[in-house]
Amino acid sequence: MIEGLRRPDAGSILYGDTDLIRHPETARRRFGIQLQSSSFFHLLTVTETLELFAALYPSSRDVGSLVERFGLADKKDDRVQGLSGGQRQRLAVATALIHNPEAVFLDEPTAGLDPQARRNLWDLVSAFRGEGRTVVLTTHYMDEAEYLCDLIAVIDHGRVLDVGSPQELIRRHLPGAVIELAGDVPVPDGLSLPALDRIERREDTTAIVTSSLEDTLVGLVAWARDQGLHLTGLRTRSATLEDVFLKLTGRSLRD
Amino acid sequence: MRALLTLTRALVRTTVRNRQGFFWTLFFPVVIMLVFGLIGNGGGFSVNLAVAGPAGGATDQVVAAFSQVPIFKVVRMDAGAAMQAVRSGKEDALLVVPAGTRPLALTLYYNDANYVAAQQAVAAVESSVSALDLALSGHAPALTVAATPVSHSQRATFLDFLVPGIVALMIMQNALFSVGAGLTRWKEQGILRRFLATPLRPVQFLGAVILNNLVVSLASLAIVVLIAVDLLHAHVAVPVAPLLAVAVVGIAVFLAIAFLVAGLSRSQEATIPIINLITFPMMFLCGIFFPVSTLPPALATIVGYLPLTYLANAIRALMSGQAAGFTPAVTGDLLGLLAWLAAGTVISARTWRWE
Repeated sequence: MIEGLRRPDAGSILYGDTDLIRHPETARRRFGIQLQSSSFFHLLTVTETLELFAALYPSSRDVGSLVERFGLADKKDDRVQGLSGGQRQRLAVATALIHNPEAVFLDEPTAGLDPQARRNLWDLVSAFRGEGRTVVLTTHYMDEAEYLCDLIAVIDHGRVLDVGSPQELIRRHLPGAVIELAGDVPVPDGLSLPALDRIERREDTTAIVTSSLEDTLVGLVAWARDQGLHLTGLRTRSATLEDVFLKLTGRSLRD
Repeated sequence: MRALLTLTRALVRTTVRNRQGFFWTLFFPVVIMLVFGLIGNGGGFSVNLAVAGPAGGATDQVVAAFSQVPIFKVVRMDAGAAMQAVRSGKEDALLVVPAGTRPLALTLYYNDANYVAAQQAVAAVESSVSALDLALSGHAPALTVAATPVSHSQRATFLDFLVPGIVALMIMQNALFSVGAGLTRWKEQGILRRFLATPLRPVQFLGAVILNNLVVSLASLAIVVLIAVDLLHAHVAVPVAPLLAVAVVGIAVFLAIAFLVAGLSRSQEATIPIINLITFPMMFLCGIFFPVSTLPPALATIVGYLPLTYLANAIRALMSGQAAGFTPAVTGDLLGLLAWLAAGTVISARTWRWE
């Protein structure tokens, strides 16, 4: 809606003093947007694609240096259809930045990318933010949000559950810590431990969320001794944004 | 303006680089012409016509008149022998001239065992007779005027008939397959959405799509006509200005239909069958490969109102040399096309969805 692609049923959107619902062209001119990586002509080359988008705006960055900066120099004369997922994502972000927008909207820019490609894109986004511009990022990767964002809104089923900086959110919802165990340690769901918040089963670990690491740990060790169990894979860590996200949105699978 | 032109150039690039599109746009029509051109060269589209009648005046006139028309190979025969020749297939048809004075009630016998040849013969004789009738009702010397739909300096071949049809067919196919299917694909891939998020206006985007199709269609038509004339030696006239005008109107009509289809369908999988449903019947009914007059009368009447029929008729009239410009017939076809254009534009503007 902010990007002017959809009209809101009610409410208003202000950017400074500009009503973006009445003046969607302001948003189109001043903001950059990255949608799905498929939204480019497959038969154009990287340079042609960027030049096309550059021509749509009154002023734009130099295509050559943008290609360089986004690590697409080797691929600049390749057609979009021959690019890898990471290269396409970088192209999508590059087109969003081509006109030096004041703010850029990125929709899951690192979805499906390998770790190197993700880091590379993070650096590019950080650099853009470093220029004093605003990045609005939608992501399912909490490490990404934690790394890149100053302010996070946790949204579930269209509702904002909470807003704050990563540290604020963690302190507010999970001030304690997380004890992780290997998944094959038979921790019963109903296990009663001092200061216990929740027990969560994840892929191959069991996470014990606690408000007091020391109390829970002592209790856990006593229980294990009692049962004659080894606490394999035991690790402790402070809570992450992912823990907060799961706590806020619940554990059940969603569509 | 710069945005519009840059986008048009980009679209032309993607169209030209699309190999599948290239096949249908250029290769396919050329192959059809080659195949039919080769078939047509062995004898061409001609009618072996036997004429029987009492010696003297009327029969001589009829023989002379039909001999003027290049597609008829006229032989004068005795009625009994001629009937035998038609039955055996040696002659395509027999025209019997009765004794007596005007009005002459000619009788045409044909062998319906060979359906296509018979229909061709009947259609050719009928159209020539009506032309001759006009001439005959005036002065006698007017008989020498070969006022027939297929009058040409050379013998008319099937290729000559086919080339204008192919031109019309290409206009329809280009618009519907490249733009109709292309737009739905772009919609699906989010390309339309992506452009809507830039200062580019929807009108500019559609403008670029239309310009792209005009450029690509006209260029491929020029290439195909050049190949037909220079390599395949089709005898067609190319009055550039009126042809261009008719082609542009035709492109506009089928683009309106393409926008209608693309606006209504959600996925590319759904679009292609719809486009086939629209183009296939027209391809075979609208006088591309054989004249509309060979269809059953009721069907021919309906087909006469289809856009491809108007387009093929207008182009054929211009390319056959029958009309050098906007004769009443060509103008009538053009009006038919404009009616389709108006209806198509209004409906597609109402049903168009960007998402």
